[in-house]
Amino acid sequence: MNDGTAKGHIELRQLSMVFGSGHRRVQAVDDVSLYVAPGEFVSIIGPSGCGKSTLLNVVAGFTRPTAGQALLDKELIDGPGADRGVVFQQYSLFPWMSVRKNVEFGLRMQGVSSNKRETTARTLLGLAGLLAFENHYPDQLSGGMKQRVGIVRALATSPQVMLMDEPFGALDSQTRVVMQQILTNMWQRFRLSVLFITHDIEEAIFLSDRVYVMTARPGRIKAEIEIALPRPRTAAMMSSIEFTQILHKLRNLIREESLAAMGSELSDGGLEGFAAEVGTAGVKEMV
Amino acid sequence: MATVSLRAMQPQPAEDLASPPAADAGAPTPAPTVVLVESPAPAPAPAWAARAAAGPPPPSGVATAFQWLRAQALGLALGACSLAAMLLFWHLATTYRWDFYIRFTNLPTPMDVLQKFGEAMNSHKFITNVGMSLRRIAIGFAVATVLGVALGLLIGRYRLTRQLMFPAIEALRPIPAIAWVPISIMLWPDNEVSIVFITFIGAFFPILLNTVSGVQAVDAVLLRAGQSLGAREPQLMWHVVLPGAAPQVFTGLAVGMGVAWVSLIAAEMISGQFGIGYFTWEAYSLISYADIVLGMVTIGVLGLLCSWAIRFAGNALLPWLQYSKPEGRT
Repeated sequence: MNDGTAKGHIELRQLSMVFGSGHRRVQAVDDVSLYVAPGEFVSIIGPSGCGKSTLLNVVAGFTRPTAGQALLDKELIDGPGADRGVVFQQYSLFPWMSVRKNVEFGLRMQGVSSNKRETTARTLLGLAGLLAFENHYPDQLSGGMKQRVGIVRALATSPQVMLMDEPFGALDSQTRVVMQQILTNMWQRFRLSVLFITHDIEEAIFLSDRVYVMTARPGRIKAEIEIALPRPRTAAMMSSIEFTQILHKLRNLIREESLAAMGSELSDGGLEGFAAEVGTAGVKEMV
Repeated sequence: MATVSLRAMQPQPAEDLASPPAADAGAPTPAPTVVLVESPAPAPAPAWAARAAAGPPPPSGVATAFQWLRAQALGLALGACSLAAMLLFWHLATTYRWDFYIRFTNLPTPMDVLQKFGEAMNSHKFITNVGMSLRRIAIGFAVATVLGVALGLLIGRYRLTRQLMFPAIEALRPIPAIAWVPISIMLWPDNEVSIVFITFIGAFFPILLNTVSGVQAVDAVLLRAGQSLGAREPQLMWHVVLPGAAPQVFTGLAVGMGVAWVSLIAAEMISGQFGIGYFTWEAYSLISYADIVLGMVTIGVLGLLCSWAIRFAGNALLPWLQYSKPEGRT
């Protein structure tokens, strides 16, 4: 779908986010810089409450940063728009529209004729194996199907960028594995830039080209890890040695932060041993 | 009951339709959906999809109707009993002119009222009265709906309009519509408009307040989804906020319709010319007792028909609601 003009470059420059003021002041995100190259799949993982979703909301244009810049193809992000598809953690389908009308929504907002909308929606629903359910209401679908419709709906306007905020967080683990496979196949097909938020480390490795690890609040970038696994990715790779090595590395980084988030009174004797593994090749410590 | 069996006939949206077969064969077989994702052209729907769309063979219509009747039989029988008991009591009390503190001596019997009804159906005057009342309800309720929903959307969505208008509305709201009658007569140039105004007042506040709370209850994630799909504010209002608030708007319409009738009848009795409320009050002045009861029954039936119309419109316009509430609507 992309015509090779390499659009969809996301960049965050020294971004900070503060909520509230006075003694209620919370620094959610502090001095975060990151990028997603055109066509790249990048995940952000970190302990809960580290401001991952805040970053995504800034890129989506739902919130404005307190300091720093959020850029899409060198232009300052100024509010939400159809050039960035968003898939939410909660089910966000419009319950009063059929599945197909949901998928058509973005095109309808752009004034695309109803024939064209229908063709596009049906093609995409066919790709996601949902054509038989085009006239169902969202409340008639299972959780996994709803999220698939959500992804298809975000794809319908041919955005350059997909922003996904723990889209599979509410699904059971079997469904989640299938959804990950579907997503990675879809991504290979459409080649969009994806910014993916998750707290599931295996999910991040399986899907991504690169993974950013965030610290506990205030959220900073702790590490950036290249995932050099070949594509297309398959479920079998998840038991490979390379995968396991990356998994260990990331797990230790996250564990440190989760402990930090819980407070310093926790002292885990085993942690020092793990900490030694951190910082080996492939891990770039961020300043 | 009926809703439950309907739901059972829906295609099963279970996840296992799309998930891969159990990986006991050793080699990881890709899920059917995954194959679809990789195929370049939209492949024909797989067999399971066709089965799911068709649903299991429905049971024969006669059997379903019979089952439904059996399930409803007790309820229908009890309903008929309570109506029959009421009519019987009315008949006995009025025929034998019971008098025990409550006096039934002057009240008409059911047969008197039925006879009056027969006469009224041939009387131009009665039909005109009913027509006038319905016209007042239609105009007052329509204006209340348009204004109530429009203002409700603005007040519910924007803080500025809320802060600007809500205090005035809150100050006027506790005043019952009937209390507006004297002022309304002074305010409007003729009697007809003032009665319509009273009807409007009655319907307006329930519609407005329910719309406001419906708008505020619209899930924020739906608004964000709309925005991220490129909807601008007016589109968001029309395509997301309004349908999102619609279930509560219809609650407001149903309540508003009830209050509109109460207000209309009171206004017609006090200041009216024509109208079914006026007919009822005039019957009392003219000592035409059967007509009083005929008026009462007519008011009840008209009110009921209007409520049904609202509910019917709601079910027709909001078909998705039957799926969002597993118990179904009764």
